[in-house]
Amino acid sequence: MKKSIPFEVFRYAMIALALVVALIPIAWMASMAFKPVGEWSATGADLTWWPKHPTLFNFNFIFGQSDTSLIVALEKTAAKPILASLLSSIFGTLIAISAGTAAAYGLSRFGAGKNLPLALIQLRIFPPMAVMIPVMIMWAFLRLNDTWFGLALVYGIVTLPFAFWLMKTFFDDMPREIEEAALVEGCSRWRVFTRITLPMMRAPLASAALFVFIMNWSDYLIALLLTSREWVTIPVYMASLSSSMTGQLYGAKAALGLIAAIPPLVLGIAIQKHLVRGLTFGALKQ
Amino acid sequence: MSGASLQPDSAKQAASLGFKLTLPAQLLVLFIAVFPTLMQIYISLTDWSPLSGANWWMAYGFWNNFANYFDLLQDGRFWGALRRTGLVMLVCVPAEFLLGLALATLFVDEFRGKKIFYSILLMPMMVVPAVAGYMFYMLFQSTGPINHILSTLTGSTVSIAWLSDTTYAMIAVMIADIWQWTPLMFLILLAGLAGVPEDQIKAATLLGASARQRFITIVIPRMKTIMIIALSIRLIENFKIFDTLYIMTGGGPGTATETISVYFYKVTTQDLIWGYVAALALFILVVLSVVAVYAMKRLALAIEVAA
Amino acid sequence: MSAIHLRNLVKRFGAFTALKTMDLDIADGEFMAILGPSGCGKSTTMNMIAGLEEPSSGSIHFSDRDMAGVPMGKRNVGFVFQNYAIFTHMTVRQNLAYGPTMQRAQTAEVNKKVAEMADFLQLTELLDRKADKLSVNILQRVAIGRSAILKPAIFLLDEPLSNVDAAFRAVMRTELKQLQRQFKQTMVYVTHDQLEAMTMADRIAVMDHGVLQQVGTPLEVYNNPVNTFVATFIGSPGMNLVKGTPTETKQGLRINLGAIGKSPILPPALASNLKSRNSEVWYGFRPENITVGTKADDLSLPITFTERIGARTIVHLGEGLSMKAVFDNETPVTVGKTLNFTLKPEHVLLFDGTSGVRIGMEAAHG
Repeated sequence: MKKSIPFEVFRYAMIALALVVALIPIAWMASMAFKPVGEWSATGADLTWWPKHPTLFNFNFIFGQSDTSLIVALEKTAAKPILASLLSSIFGTLIAISAGTAAAYGLSRFGAGKNLPLALIQLRIFPPMAVMIPVMIMWAFLRLNDTWFGLALVYGIVTLPFAFWLMKTFFDDMPREIEEAALVEGCSRWRVFTRITLPMMRAPLASAALFVFIMNWSDYLIALLLTSREWVTIPVYMASLSSSMTGQLYGAKAALGLIAAIPPLVLGIAIQKHLVRGLTFGALKQ
Repeated sequence: MSGASLQPDSAKQAASLGFKLTLPAQLLVLFIAVFPTLMQIYISLTDWSPLSGANWWMAYGFWNNFANYFDLLQDGRFWGALRRTGLVMLVCVPAEFLLGLALATLFVDEFRGKKIFYSILLMPMMVVPAVAGYMFYMLFQSTGPINHILSTLTGSTVSIAWLSDTTYAMIAVMIADIWQWTPLMFLILLAGLAGVPEDQIKAATLLGASARQRFITIVIPRMKTIMIIALSIRLIENFKIFDTLYIMTGGGPGTATETISVYFYKVTTQDLIWGYVAALALFILVVLSVVAVYAMKRLALAIEVAA
Repeated sequence: MSAIHLRNLVKRFGAFTALKTMDLDIADGEFMAILGPSGCGKSTTMNMIAGLEEPSSGSIHFSDRDMAGVPMGKRNVGFVFQNYAIFTHMTVRQNLAYGPTMQRAQTAEVNKKVAEMADFLQLTELLDRKADKLSVNILQRVAIGRSAILKPAIFLLDEPLSNVDAAFRAVMRTELKQLQRQFKQTMVYVTHDQLEAMTMADRIAVMDHGVLQQVGTPLEVYNNPVNTFVATFIGSPGMNLVKGTPTETKQGLRINLGAIGKSPILPPALASNLKSRNSEVWYGFRPENITVGTKADDLSLPITFTERIGARTIVHLGEGLSMKAVFDNETPVTVGKTLNFTLKPEHVLLFDGTSGVRIGMEAAHG
């Protein structure tokens, strides 16, 4: 089709505007993360988009370096919350992916668990807030409160719908001839699943796992309710950084925010072509 | 292992393996959905709270004759939160939809830089929502960059107290939500647009249809299902809005930006009246179920059709 | 109605040239087939006629109107897509009414036109059916009707039969040809299937690698191919070609075909066209023109295998030569035996051994 020049100009202008809007908040935080204390709250003419004196101070600070310009050193460094986020997200992902993949295969190949698709969408529809009271009671009773594995278990369940639906559409798309051939050769169905299907699905499995990991890593509310001191995750820790004692620790929080933001941004690009499928429960494939 | 699949009991084996494979998922659903719901119903009928000194299963001692349910009908703060949630949904979801659709139409055909622009435009939705909340918290400081930009653009000093003014706080929260989730609409709608058969667009053009006519007569009917999916997903997610908002305003000033999730959070962690919260939660679950059943049937149908 | 004139038409996609200089005149009311293998530039040519693509250089005229810069919606061409591009979310009626409605015709007039067209195409019964559950020949009629209702000057058809079952193609071909006769419109029909081109078209434009090879009636391109490409592409199976060198014998000029033998004596007309007696030539003859011979100086080749296709038998000759003969089923052939055969002089064509251009037609080519 013929491309008209006015339309191309309009297109690029609109996209440029969208890019600026999309990037400003991220850029501001990234810039703040490298600003020294004196520039944190700069206003008016002193407000700059680029740090005047770029420094790694903020990163050192959240990992425990004290500084005289701030009233206190942090009583708790960012190391443990980062560990908490990693452990709970990774193990939550393992739970969701194992249970989700097994169930997706069971449904896709053997028609088992026909209630699951809707039950899991339902699980996704309800606000976590609305079921957290019983979970908090149960977790207190089971002594899972404020532990990374307690959090991982909830994550595993909350993201199970995504794992299940993603893997179900992947299994549905996969040609069955190879499996059938192996069955005829005399492999048991379990062996076919573990030795043939799963190795063939390595790439889709990895995409689904990354997708679920991003979901878990992004959580704030559940961690806020289920962790308190020992195993708070990055977002919870970040929100608690500032106190009336310290005032707003803009740069320190921005540094922490940057650390939290980078994994999903990188992984998200890696699984870009599966994003639509994941976010729409497999209804749409790109 | 010889010829196991060809034995007459093969169907039985398959069913048994299917059952075993789905068992973990079923148990997890039971564990997080069915059992807690029953527990929630039980607690919601009592005045039990974690401070009452008794274990939860002893809650029958605090039986209160459905008082929680009568209370919630008169709970102004609850209905206010529900109203604000509705307002946020009403503003944000259509805005995200229209912006996403507009962007998607710009991305349908090939042009230089498409891939990289696409990746960058998806970035906001990848940002951890709590971090996004913090980004906007910084941007919307009264001495922060947003006012700075506005000052530069208008030529006079703008110092809007974004997060401490009841109206502006709501606007700020909505802007953050639109910023973060327009990319999702863009992503889904672009996939939908790409699925509109190019031949049909060309055929319509050759039959003399203008761009606007093509959009109305071909593109929209073809994308109806996808639009419904995109809108339902965002409506569902938007109803739960918490992370960004709570970090930006904590629901304040006062209760100006207190949505359902924020209200729940506060009564759960500050007021600790869990019997009442359980009743609230059940009420929401029931209402949402009724609303969702229709939407879900549509969605499930759409998924079947698309699959 | 309108004639089409293509002059020096070129289309490049980046570094790739899809069409290298195309000149073609299509007469008013003519059914022109553009025939060639995939990637030969035939679809590109048609897309440029329709305005779906802009030529890199050259011109397109409809009768005497220059089409440069005329957008596709304003060219008054009917286009039938490979998959018909029927609007499946609409009824047959809505499909037929689409063009006039979009061009803001009065409702009464649209209804009248739709009724006429439906009547003409025998679609009246189906008008209120959803278009997504119709059989393929109905879809073809709807696609044609949808375009025809706007009375286009030119009809373009892009391989409309390529997605159709082989069994159904004959029916569709007949129907299409009848429709063209009724509409009396200029039609350009793009296809890679020579059978479609041979049976329906008034003239065929054969293309390969972005170059127009030959234009002519179906019989012309069959009997008088201008080069080895057209010779082998047209005909089923295509023409046999054997490399050989001219040799002078007592009786006259023959072509030495190596292991196959020496060709029958060339007719004087053909012999006089051979400018150089030393360079290699392609010796060409159609499989259906082979007759079983008896004499000692016949050509001979071993029979490698046979395919019986109904009334005829295709006999494959020689190892790795892709030579074929077509006989009726009565002719005795035995796999493994040697076939002695002969050719009538008028059935022999010679092509240049390097360029592949038909000897005696060098001027007509390129």
